[in-house]
Amino acid sequence: MIVLILGGLFFVLRPESPSGVPQDRTFDVSIEGGEMSPAEISVNEGDSVTLRVSPDEPMELHLHGYDVEQEVEPDQKARLRFEADLTGRFEIEDHESERELGVLQVRPR
Amino acid sequence: MRRVAAAALAFLFVLADGRPALAHGFGPTYDIPIPLWLYLYGAAAAVVLAFVPLALFSRKERDAAYRYPRFDLFRVRLLRKILTSRLLTGGLRLLSVTLFFVVVIAGLVGLQSGFNIAPTFVWVTWWVGLSFFTASVGNLWPLVNPWGVIFDWAEGLVRRFGFRDGLELDERYPEALGIWPAVGLYLVFIWIENVFSGSYVPRNIALFALAYTLITLYGMAFFGKETWLRRGEAFSVFFGLLGRFAPTEVRVKDPDVCPGCDGCDDDARGRCVNCYECFTRAAPDERELNLRPPAVGLGLPEKVPPGGAAFVIVVLAGVTFDGLLQTPLWLEIVRLTPVTQTLGTILLPLLFFGIYLGFVELSRILGGERGFRRFAAAYAFSLVPIAIAYQMAHYYTYLLIQGQMIMSLVSDPLGWGWNLFGTADFEPRYGIVGAGFVWYSQVALIVAGHVIAVYLAHSISLRLLRDPVRAFRSQLPMLVLMVLYTITSLWILAQPIVK
Repeated sequence: MIVLILGGLFFVLRPESPSGVPQDRTFDVSIEGGEMSPAEISVNEGDSVTLRVSPDEPMELHLHGYDVEQEVEPDQKARLRFEADLTGRFEIEDHESERELGVLQVRPR
Repeated sequence: MRRVAAAALAFLFVLADGRPALAHGFGPTYDIPIPLWLYLYGAAAAVVLAFVPLALFSRKERDAAYRYPRFDLFRVRLLRKILTSRLLTGGLRLLSVTLFFVVVIAGLVGLQSGFNIAPTFVWVTWWVGLSFFTASVGNLWPLVNPWGVIFDWAEGLVRRFGFRDGLELDERYPEALGIWPAVGLYLVFIWIENVFSGSYVPRNIALFALAYTLITLYGMAFFGKETWLRRGEAFSVFFGLLGRFAPTEVRVKDPDVCPGCDGCDDDARGRCVNCYECFTRAAPDERELNLRPPAVGLGLPEKVPPGGAAFVIVVLAGVTFDGLLQTPLWLEIVRLTPVTQTLGTILLPLLFFGIYLGFVELSRILGGERGFRRFAAAYAFSLVPIAIAYQMAHYYTYLLIQGQMIMSLVSDPLGWGWNLFGTADFEPRYGIVGAGFVWYSQVALIVAGHVIAVYLAHSISLRLLRDPVRAFRSQLPMLVLMVLYTITSLWILAQPIVK
């Protein structure tokens, strides 16, 4: 009885999984005064992500967890490419100052 | 005494800088907040499942709390040999004291930013790791407590040099004080963990550890080791509480060693469960190390000293506070009211205590029995499983990921570029568990903790009221209280993370 109620409730509440197939996602990201804009990038598991980064000063970007590193410079749209295969919340930081610039959020399917 | 307390309080307020920034000893979180639908599902499950334990048992037995299946590990010859060998117990004690000194030395002279073993060991390995171990395996703290070990060694040394009286002055401990010293010290610890912005600076950790060493050694010398560990040493009390949840217990078969021991209960009628002092005193073949169902230890009718319920509430509130600090709601509270982080450390336990006592009083009235204090003392333990489940849900990914850092840190504890064990370059692996699994396991843990809590509260009420009908009635307010606490825990996990 209780198993039935809880099981039924689970399937009623559980939403459709976000768009079945992995997509190519591209984001334009600017960095000013140590703040990324947008501050949070949200993608789904399996997406191919490209970040086009324009910072206000030269720095070395580091995406935690994925261990992607990329030197970026002003007036030069550097590209950060990776497959979003790890789910969770990952910090994007300036590798030298180890300052958090923003967050990548990868939602599971 | 009051003046000292006022001065201490003033000192705390001076230290509090009121910055709403996340002041935490841990690294970043890799968890995504649980989605709304799963939060609602967990809450609904908590309400539905709350009635299962009630339906399951309505027997009345006087001694029900003590009747549970047990298996004595010492009955297996090999296990007995291994578990009681001096090599293992002595080795663990030595390891514990060594680690204690490594942390203090690393904190004092090691690299202050970046590579240093002190913050990770204290906040992740010891605080989170040992808590998990204690709740899910058993309480090792009475064996490895570094202050206890150091005191024992010092005592042995002093006696060897001919001072027969040893180190203990054995001043009479004021009984009315109960375990309030532990409550106070634990509050300070929670404040350091959650509010103090320098809680992961190695030097601060070393200084706090040394200050606490002074307090603890002095307390043990002044009131006697056993007395202080039981009443003033916050971590002994804390791990003792978690140990009640653990699926193992120590037990003394023959209670001859018990009279005069203040850890044993008069109500236990010749049973001595989880009293480590008696266990140490008992002859080897009088000892048992039992496997038992988890959480039954929280339902045992043990004596609760003054401050006992307050300690439990402070633990519950502390666990919640830790999560609450990272929610947007808390940022709003800090912005709109004069409540600071420090004030929150004190106000939240008071709020919890008020709510708790209110529900206990309701439960007592519905049960139709007198003795408010007895009820308040007994029921507090039934809430512990929710706190443990929440703590595990909240922290197990930390332990899995940040915990790996200890691999490289043991090779280079001071950050001086050593590579003692060849593991200094160990890179932690991320993504051991996916975010989807984390969500489901978090909700499952919390709901499971909730069901255990309801079960415990009901068995406690049967013990207090000795009548199934009245016990059932008295359980309704407790059910509401537990559903509230569980939903709060789930709600925190569903909140967006603020920087």
